[in-house]
Amino acid sequence: MQEPVLAVRDVVKVFDEGSQKVEVLKGVSMEVAPGEVVALEGPSGSGKTTLLSIMGCILTPTAGEVEVAGTRVNSKRPDELRAVRRRSIGFVFQQYNLFPALTALENVEYSLNVKGLRGRRAADEAARVLERVGLGDRLRFLPRDLSGGQKQRVAIARALAGSPRVILADEPTANLDTAAGTQILDLFRDLAKGDGKGLVIVTHDPKVRKVADRVVGIRDGRLAA
Amino acid sequence: MVSLARKNLFHDRLRFFITVAGVAFAVTLVLVQVGLFMGLLGKATVTIENCGADVWVTSKETPNVDFAHTFPETAVLRVRGVTGVQRADNLIVQFMNIQLPSGAEEGSLVYALEDFRAWNLPWRVDAGDVDDLKRGAYIMMDVSAERRFGPFEVGEYREMLGRRFKIIGTTAEAQSFTTAPIVFMGYKNAQEQLQTLQGKTQYVLVKLAPGADRAAVIAELRRRLPYNDVWSREEWARRSRAYWVVSTGLGMNMGITVFLGVLVGIVVVAQTLYTSAVEHVKEFGTVKAIGGSNWDIYRILGEQALIAAVIGFALGGLLSLGMQPLMARLHLNVLISPSFAAAVFAGTVLMCLGAAMLSFRRVATIDPALVFRA
Repeated sequence: MQEPVLAVRDVVKVFDEGSQKVEVLKGVSMEVAPGEVVALEGPSGSGKTTLLSIMGCILTPTAGEVEVAGTRVNSKRPDELRAVRRRSIGFVFQQYNLFPALTALENVEYSLNVKGLRGRRAADEAARVLERVGLGDRLRFLPRDLSGGQKQRVAIARALAGSPRVILADEPTANLDTAAGTQILDLFRDLAKGDGKGLVIVTHDPKVRKVADRVVGIRDGRLAA
Repeated sequence: MVSLARKNLFHDRLRFFITVAGVAFAVTLVLVQVGLFMGLLGKATVTIENCGADVWVTSKETPNVDFAHTFPETAVLRVRGVTGVQRADNLIVQFMNIQLPSGAEEGSLVYALEDFRAWNLPWRVDAGDVDDLKRGAYIMMDVSAERRFGPFEVGEYREMLGRRFKIIGTTAEAQSFTTAPIVFMGYKNAQEQLQTLQGKTQYVLVKLAPGADRAAVIAELRRRLPYNDVWSREEWARRSRAYWVVSTGLGMNMGITVFLGVLVGIVVVAQTLYTSAVEHVKEFGTVKAIGGSNWDIYRILGEQALIAAVIGFALGGLLSLGMQPLMARLHLNVLISPSFAAAVFAGTVLMCLGAAMLSFRRVATIDPALVFRA
């Protein structure tokens, strides 16, 4: 097997809720290979969003280790976690989370600005990834003027900008109709296979199974067989 | 670089308008109120600043130029004997009632000198010759007196303390802080008007010889005139201003106005920026999730505050300048000097940045994990 682009090993996450400690993840281990699409399924409260947050270096595990793009992330320092996110991880959210005041192009360009790319190079790169997701004719559109599927494409372009090795998607088809959802999943698959990115999709959508190389279930903080 | 700050600010136009209007209101309030105060305060020292005297000798503890006390007029001889003094003359500044044609009486502030021209008083003469003042029972009145005294013409007579004076000229810009119109008359005439002024003066004006050491001359004058105060022009102007600012509570009044103006600005800007920050929590969470730091978000809020400050100041400044001619019609002088405007601009920027900082704590606690919540 190829060197994984993303790995979590024996990850435990405990949240303090008042006087109680709630163990949300109870020793989770999984790896994602380059070009692999992994569907992560589970009922509400099973710990899949927590696992996604830990994989995305937004949360740190109570125990266990995380490895992103060949680098072990053992720091709890916010600036180092931010650096990993900027460098190696792209996010796609259920609600798109686009900036309403920015055009499609600016949404992607701003993301590149945050990652350290500025000026003409950022604008060109943003236009390039938007072309790639089929929105070359919608660069100057505000999110309010785009359909749900187009918004999600902008979100995908934003996640792709800067060429991260890992894409983490949280219910990316939940707000889309069947046709748009299918198109988005096909796009995800093409991007993963074409660029060798590791892709984890948290979902309840059975359509995702069709494009996933592997389906991983999670129940009560443990990966199910 | 994409400015999320600017785009967000202009995206919600109503909020932007409210923010800018709040800043503009605060700026206008401060500029006009303080400008009016400065204009008024300018009257407290207008004669000091236009008079050709480098040094003023006053009676002990004279609080300001309008409220003069008498001392023997022979003091001027001792002043003239000091090395470095080119010229020294007595000056009387005295309130005297003036009888109006209507039968009413009004107060006036008389400036009396033997040689007005030598001291550049009055500095703006619209009609008449100041040299004629010493040649008889003559006066010159400032045109601003028309508001209090009614219309008057050169050649008319007015009675002051029972004696008729002929108006032989008019002046402009000579106004006192007390609003009593300034009347110019000969030194001897003024002394003859009041028993208390016989053989007395109220000030000695001193002009220094070219190259004279002002500090040394002042020190020598203080030594020779231990029962008087001796002030440089700047010290005397400062003292006169300070009297009205501090002793009358006007300064406190103005300070409260400025404070309220700034408070209004801070409340409006802080409130709108804070609400905006709360409404954009998910966006800020996204900024953090994609790798942005708290400082990236602080910069957004700071830039928004700065834009609001610049545009609000520009609008408030224009509004204040527009009010100047309107106020002038009401005989109110709104004095907005470049340095004052610069200080208000700096204050506006600080005010807006300070207001933005109130939102910093809120955005610092934003958890980027919220981006995964539906």
